[in-house]
Amino acid sequence: MKTIKLIIVLLLSTHFIACNSDDDAPGPEITPVVSKRIENLHAPQTGGQGQPVGGEFTKFDFTTGEITTSNIDWDIAFRGTTIAVNGGVVTGTTDEPARNGAAAAVILTNTFSEVKEAPETSLFTQDADGAFAIPTGSGNGWYNYNFQTNIVSPIAGKILVFKTRNNQYVKVEILSYYKDAPASPDGTVHESRYYTFNYVYNPNEGDKNLE
Amino acid sequence: MRRVFWVLLALKSTLYSQNIEHVKNTDSIVHQNLEEVIISATRTQRQLSSIPLPVILIPKNQIQKSGTIRLNEILNEQTGIITVADESGFEGIQMQGISSDYIMILIDGVPLVGRSAGNLDLSRLTVGNIKQIEVIKGPSSSLFGSEAMGGVINIITDTPKSETLNGSASFRIASFNTQDSNLTIAQRKNKFSYNFFANRLFSDGYDLREETPGQTVDPFENYTFQGKIWYEINNTLSLFASGRYYFQDQDLSLFFNNNTFEGTSDLDEWNVQVRLEHDLASSLKLQYELYYTNYKASELLANPLDNEVFSQSDFDQHLFRPEIRANYNFSPKKALTLGTGWNNERLNRTFFDEEIKFNSQYVFTQYDFYPLSKVNIILGARFDNHSEYQSQFSPKISIKYDITKNLSFKTSTGYGFKAPDFRQLYFDFTNSAVGYTVLGYNVAVDKLNELIDLDQIIDVVVDINALNTPLKPESSIGFNFGVTYTNDNFLLEANYFRNEIENLIDTRVIARKTNGQNVFSYTNFNNIFTTGLEINTQYKLTKNIKLLAGYQLLYAKDKDVLDRLENGEFFARDSESLETFRLEKSDYFGLLNRSRHTANLKIFYEIPQWDSSINVRINYRSKYGLINNTEGGNDILDIYDPFVNGYALTNLAINKTFKKNYKLQLGVNNMFDYTDIQNISNLAGRQIYGKMEIQF
Repeated sequence: MKTIKLIIVLLLSTHFIACNSDDDAPGPEITPVVSKRIENLHAPQTGGQGQPVGGEFTKFDFTTGEITTSNIDWDIAFRGTTIAVNGGVVTGTTDEPARNGAAAAVILTNTFSEVKEAPETSLFTQDADGAFAIPTGSGNGWYNYNFQTNIVSPIAGKILVFKTRNNQYVKVEILSYYKDAPASPDGTVHESRYYTFNYVYNPNEGDKNLE
Repeated sequence: MRRVFWVLLALKSTLYSQNIEHVKNTDSIVHQNLEEVIISATRTQRQLSSIPLPVILIPKNQIQKSGTIRLNEILNEQTGIITVADESGFEGIQMQGISSDYIMILIDGVPLVGRSAGNLDLSRLTVGNIKQIEVIKGPSSSLFGSEAMGGVINIITDTPKSETLNGSASFRIASFNTQDSNLTIAQRKNKFSYNFFANRLFSDGYDLREETPGQTVDPFENYTFQGKIWYEINNTLSLFASGRYYFQDQDLSLFFNNNTFEGTSDLDEWNVQVRLEHDLASSLKLQYELYYTNYKASELLANPLDNEVFSQSDFDQHLFRPEIRANYNFSPKKALTLGTGWNNERLNRTFFDEEIKFNSQYVFTQYDFYPLSKVNIILGARFDNHSEYQSQFSPKISIKYDITKNLSFKTSTGYGFKAPDFRQLYFDFTNSAVGYTVLGYNVAVDKLNELIDLDQIIDVVVDINALNTPLKPESSIGFNFGVTYTNDNFLLEANYFRNEIENLIDTRVIARKTNGQNVFSYTNFNNIFTTGLEINTQYKLTKNIKLLAGYQLLYAKDKDVLDRLENGEFFARDSESLETFRLEKSDYFGLLNRSRHTANLKIFYEIPQWDSSINVRINYRSKYGLINNTEGGNDILDIYDPFVNGYALTNLAINKTFKKNYKLQLGVNNMFDYTDIQNISNLAGRQIYGKMEIQF
């Protein structure tokens, strides 16, 4: 957490410039999208390797762009390779946070930059009894697990699009599961359960634009 | 001379040996090739140079002068043929980019069985008693049926030549305490001939990673015995019988999870072949053949401290095959071959519930004729009826056109297939360490229901009813077009090939288990092609120096992957930014374990005044991918994935003959000590050897 770096790039769309121009007729206020990289978000877990998995999830709030300990003001949460959303109901795993928002998720197959807007609402799912909106397991959701090397690698071309608890849209590309995002992680050298990801967050409620 | 081209199936034919004598005294490449007779291409005796198919013939003197001892070594030095180890370390042959599963291996015309994950390990076969090796490239199912989809390699063993008792004994010692001993005894007396051969190979093995316990290759010892007899019963009947026995014992040790496990690996193989040749008329010959083979492999690893078994596997395969063939010559240049037979196969192995039997009946025919004096056409077809899969009809046409004495074209196209094998249909395997399960196609539904009853399955991800339609045989259509130019000192052969392969069988996930692992089963899904160019040249620089060079260009790709690339469905990760980008068609390298370029250069230098010869052989293969790097984010081999570096191996051999009957050989294989510990465990470093042979 000590190294969360803020690299806010304000993408000044022509539309945005037009809205702020004094000469224009007053229209709805559009806040620019936020592009940010989160580095080394630590998502520890207990158990695993045949033992029951447990431990608190690390919760993240797109409104502040920070991790949070709030039990209400969070959008997504991480524990090991599992990602929960603040929407739906508890899945039944131990130590998971209660869902009290309307967050949802969908996985798209595309490059990050080519996801220009969120897909239709019907494609989003929420956490449910026995199933996370972002499916767990190698090859099912956002990562592959290699049994020979014990390496978890984010699947290229998997873009996670979330609807936040406040009905805003955000796209996320997970870049690494290892501390300091090494290009070729080595399970015996690099510490795992440290997420590095890029996201583009649109603070305007219901606005699907993601560029 | 034309008569020389048309010698048909007469092992004892005096006509044939006269022809050979006739051309032997000339000394050019053309005439050397004329001497060479090949039998696998048509199942009749044909002059090598007259064959309308891409073939390679490796004669005994090349095998001997090269100082090789096992079949994989000598094949590896031929254009477009490499021996490759798959990701599990099983070694097999690859030809025109087609892997070992689809290449039939024959000894004296009858097939070998006993494959590990589809690969037939050719180091099982000694070259000590080989007369010649015949390699037919392209689909040959029209004559040989299943497995001959990518080609056929036929090993022809020695026949007795002399009326007096004769033979040879040799001993070769090499690095890693590798000892190879051979004994041959043969005689041809009146109507009776016999030939006996024995080989022993022993090695301490080698270790590429001395810092870890255990060896890369554990010590092993194997023996090959072969006895053959020929007997002329009367003018029209002759009998041939052959028996071969091979066994190997290997000590195993495995270091896993901080424990050392020890055990043994044993192989036993029998082949028995009996053939009666019946000449009903000079133009009509019949052959009745019985063949039986049994291949057994067993492996046991246990903890030496408490004798707890770590792994055990047994494999016991039988093949019984009666076959009848008839050859009828309408005229010297018009021949019809008919054949029919029955394959009875049985396999019992660990991970099978019970012994599985396959039965198939087949008929084949071939019509070989010259519609014009310079045009030879061979039409062939075979029909296979099988107990387990749909019947197969395999036609083939081959044409050769001699434009001039020196220049000819040949082209062939044919259908090939490979039946789903026992493992793909009946496997029931659960990995004890990791927990995944692999099920054969025919048992998948029942086994899956058993797992469901045991509450081991979360969900089934395929439509179970769809598993009731039978698995289809893998099939291919192969096309070859070649040009041959030859003059007294020079030979050039170029061949374009393309193999379109459909219904390739591979594993897919059919269900997810509660332990987080998957259940895999086999299905038909990939459509691939291999295409490229083979070039072979021979040049007689002087009377005593001969150069041989070969090159193969190869593209081997999955057509479904190409379609999906077109749709932009594959991504990779930038190694710097770690961000995803979309792969283009041009980023796709192709199938695993295929090198774009393979090449060889051989120089044979004779020094007659010293009764000596020296040869240098260099074999090169360019870079290739060994695993799909899923870390890169996709399961195809793209140019951003890690590759195994290309490499060249240089082998050298010096031969000297003393007093006519004593031969000394010194040599070095892998002269520049190339190893790639990470990727190529079957590539030992430099090996020096010395061999002494006595002929009597």
